[in-house]
Order: sequence, then structure tokens, then C-alpha cells
Amino acid sequence: MKNQSRLTMAPNSWRASAYIIMIFFTVITIFPLIWLGYSSLKPNAEIVQHPLALPQAPSLDNYIRAWNLGGLGTALKNSLIYTCVATISTVLLSLAAAFGLAKFPFKSVKFFTWAFTVGLMLTVHAVIIPLFLAEVRIGLVNTRVGVILPYIAFNLPMSILIALGYVKGIPDALIESAEIDGAKYRQIFWSLIMPLSIPVVSTIAILSFLQYWNEFLFVFIFTTKKALKSLPVAITQFAGRQNIEYGLQYASLVIGILPMILFYIFFHSQLMKAFGEGALKE
Amino acid sequence: MVNARSKRRSYLSFVLPAFIIYATIMVFPLVFTLGLSFTKWKGFGPIEFVGLQNYVRLLSDPVFHIGLRNNILIVLISVFGQIPLGFLLAYMLHRRMVKGAKLFEIMIFLPITISSVIVAQLWNRVFAPVGILPTIIRQITGNQDYIMKIFESKDFAFVPIMFVLLWQHTSLYMVIFLANLQRIPESIIEAAKIEGANEGTIFLKIIAPILAPVAFINSILAISGSFKSFDLIYSMTGGGPAHFTEVMAVYMYNTTFVFQNYGYGSAISIVIILFIVLAIWLTKVMTNRLNMG
Repeated sequence: MKNQSRLTMAPNSWRASAYIIMIFFTVITIFPLIWLGYSSLKPNAEIVQHPLALPQAPSLDNYIRAWNLGGLGTALKNSLIYTCVATISTVLLSLAAAFGLAKFPFKSVKFFTWAFTVGLMLTVHAVIIPLFLAEVRIGLVNTRVGVILPYIAFNLPMSILIALGYVKGIPDALIESAEIDGAKYRQIFWSLIMPLSIPVVSTIAILSFLQYWNEFLFVFIFTTKKALKSLPVAITQFAGRQNIEYGLQYASLVIGILPMILFYIFFHSQLMKAFGEGALKE
Repeated sequence: MVNARSKRRSYLSFVLPAFIIYATIMVFPLVFTLGLSFTKWKGFGPIEFVGLQNYVRLLSDPVFHIGLRNNILIVLISVFGQIPLGFLLAYMLHRRMVKGAKLFEIMIFLPITISSVIVAQLWNRVFAPVGILPTIIRQITGNQDYIMKIFESKDFAFVPIMFVLLWQHTSLYMVIFLANLQRIPESIIEAAKIEGANEGTIFLKIIAPILAPVAFINSILAISGSFKSFDLIYSMTGGGPAHFTEVMAVYMYNTTFVFQNYGYGSAISIVIILFIVLAIWLTKVMTNRLNMG
């Protein structure tokens, strides 16, 4: 890819505008984050007097207070539980469903595929009211299960369709020869389909992880206990209250952003690939 | 045919768990939302059937009208802002018009990982009285008493939100376009260059038509995403002040879960779904037209 000849060079006018646009976008993306980062190290009075200045004596005080006052440790733990359980479940459920729909010759395959495709158009707001009422009635409100199940359900249609496109590409001959060898379908799924699907599994896992980590509405509506709040909800509620203590607010926002920046540093290329590929399907 | 039966059983054991969760949580409740939308209910006591009354009320509800207007503004900024800008950025990166294209790409894509509600709080700090923007304006104009009033304006309160949406989502379309650009053979661009086509012609006449289907899929994503907008706006302004920044989903949330008006809230939900379906259908029709012409 590097052997671009002089011939393909874009003209200078384009290159100049490209630099302007790229730098502009990078600055408006990165500057607010950097500003938030260093401002969170300043005491409140300094933030109010010199909003743009670098901290005179950087300190982690805001962090310690925000962490304790906002219950952010509990929220972090909840976020990890919600996100990990939901991600693993989504991967298993969607790969199993994709295997069933891609490799079994039954009439209902068409119906199920259609039903999941329709799901792409349904939104949270279409069902949240009855879902809330149902959860209240059967006692799932204020439980982890009551949060995780809707997380999974809303992500299944997209995940299944991504997995389906991939599993269809696995040669039937491989499955047939395993069948002849007397393998059960359960074994075929675990020892053949699963290992062969690692690329699509990682795509689904990364996309699901990101979505679940940042999910807001279900936890916000389906839980009222502080002990069950996820990080985005706890931070929104905590930061929203800090109209005077800017330092606390900034620190809590950084705590919300930092895990994802770490995630991004490690997984940015897979993430870009996943988003790029996700839209290639259809 | 014991074998066929056990094969069917295996098949169902793979498909049904996902389908049951999906159907129970996403499909069945939809029927209840529709049902509730014809009723008046406070969340307790008897449910009163009122026919189409909720829908009729929506027609003359000024708050709902602001919400709808703002949702349409989001559709417009998505389809005519985020998508073309994302395309332009992708093209510039793909043609390596800048050095360090990969680094720019990584920087610009970063906001995709940050939760909308936290993005909202971050940008509120940018626009806040002691935030970045008013401070910069104060320093440039030398007017130390400058106060940012954009959020109090009926006509402009929504502008900062649109800016943040552009900030947050343009890079998503950039990445999708970029993935697709990489599948176009370099030789097509080379051939056009040899025939004397300039950069603008290549961009508009060669690359853009090839990527039209991608732009279409992006538009569907953008439109359905636009009508769903909740997290960012709820966290940034809550629809205020005086409903200037209301969108349908926030209005639905407040109507239902704050004011306990389940019937009316359900009607708003149904209207949101109808708009999504309508918008996707319109996009499809328009794209077919363009392809024919």
C-alpha cells in the first residue's frame, strides 16, 4: 500500500484543505478531553478563576472525593458485571442462532431470519413502557437480570445477522464429515463452528462490549438502588448535581472516560474493522 | 426418521434461546405499547379506553411539535452533515492527502468509545459559564462580562446539540466509508488520472457513485438513530429550557416515567416507530429513483 506513485498524488489545494479539516477535527476531538483531564487536577477556585490555565499544583484530591462521594467504585463493579455477562451471552446466543439458521435445512429458517431482521428497526422506546411494567410485575426491577436481559435482547438482531453472514461461509463439507464421524451437533458447534468463527466472535464481542459499557436507559429506568447503578448512570447523576464543585464533576467525568480510552488504545484497529465490516453486510 | 427429528431438535436448541429472548423482550411488548396508546392510565387503578384521543392530542401538542422539529433537525444534520463530512474525511485519508493519516484516523474516531451521557456532560462544560468557549470568547473580544446565552434562545438552543452530534458521529461514517474505499481497486483512480480527470471529478464522478449504496445504508443508520436520540440530549439539557431542546424520545420519557401518563407516552412511542419506518421507506424510494434516473 505504501508504493503510491507521484502520479496518484492529490493536488496541493486538496492536500492543504485536507490538513485544515483533519487538524480542525483532531483539535475539537482531543482538546476538550485534554482540557477536562488537566482541569480535573485543579482545585475548584482555580477552575473558576482561570478556566483554561494549566494546574498550578496538580492534585488528585478531586478524584479521591468524587470516587467516594459518587459511589463510583460500586458503579465500576456493576458496569463490569453487566458488560461482561451480557457480552458473553450475546456472543454465545448469536453464534448458536447463526449456526442453526445457516446450516440446517428447515422451512422456519426463513421466518426466523426475517424476524431478526425486523428487529433492526425496533427501538428501545417502542417497548420500554410495557417492559418496565412487566418487570415491576414479575419482580425483575432492581435486579441485575432485569438489566442484562434487555441489554442482550436489543443487541441480538444485529449480532445474529453479522454472525450469520460469516457462518454461511463455513464449508458445509466440514460439517457433513463431522456428522459422518458421528459427532453430535452440540460437539460440532463447540469444536468446529466456534473455533472457525473466532474473527466474527471478536467483532461481535468488541461491538457488544462497547455498547453495553455505554448503555444508559435500562439501568436508569429499571433500577432505583444506588448499589445497582452502572458507571454512566452514576456519573450522570453525580456530575449533574455538582453545579458548584466543578472539580468533582470533572474528575468523575474523567473516571467515566478513562476505561474506554484504555479500551480504545488496545482495540482501536479491531474496533474500526468491526464498525467498517458491520456496515458491509446486507 | 429418528435422525431427522433429533436434527430438528438440535436446530431448535440453537435458534430458540436467542429467539425467545428477542421475542419476549422486543416483539411482544410492542403489542402492549400499541394497546396502551389507546388508553388513559396513571400506572395504577382502572385502565380507561379512549380510542384515538392520545393521537389527536399529539396533533395539537406544542411540546410534541418542538420535539418533532428537533428530531427532523437531527435527521438533517446526520444525513447532510455527518455523512458527507464522513465521506470527505474518509476520501482524504484514503488518498493519503495528509501525512500520518492513521494517527488522524485514530484521533478522530476516539469519541465513538465515550458514552453519550458523558459526552453530554463534557460538552456542557465546554459551553458552561466557566467553560472553554465563553472563556475563549471573553479573551478574544476583551469583554469580561460576556455570558453565553445560546441555551436560552428558542431558535438557537438546539445548535450546540447539533454540533455535538456532528462531533460524536461523523467519525463513525468516516470509518464505514473508509472500509469500503479500501475495496475499490486503485487502478480505477489511476486510469482516471491518466485520462486527465482532476481530483474533484474523481471524488464526485467516480468514487461517490460507487459508494452510493454505502451512503444509503449509512442514511438508514443515521435516520433511525436520529429518531432514537435520547441519552445525549437527556443528559445535556433534559429537553429544557422551556422545552426548546425537546426531542420525541425525551418527551416520551418525561410523559411516562416522570408524569406517569402511560397512555400518552405509549402513543408518542408508537409515533417514533412510525417515523423510523416511514423515513427508511422514503430513503429506499428516493434511492431507487436516483438509480433509475
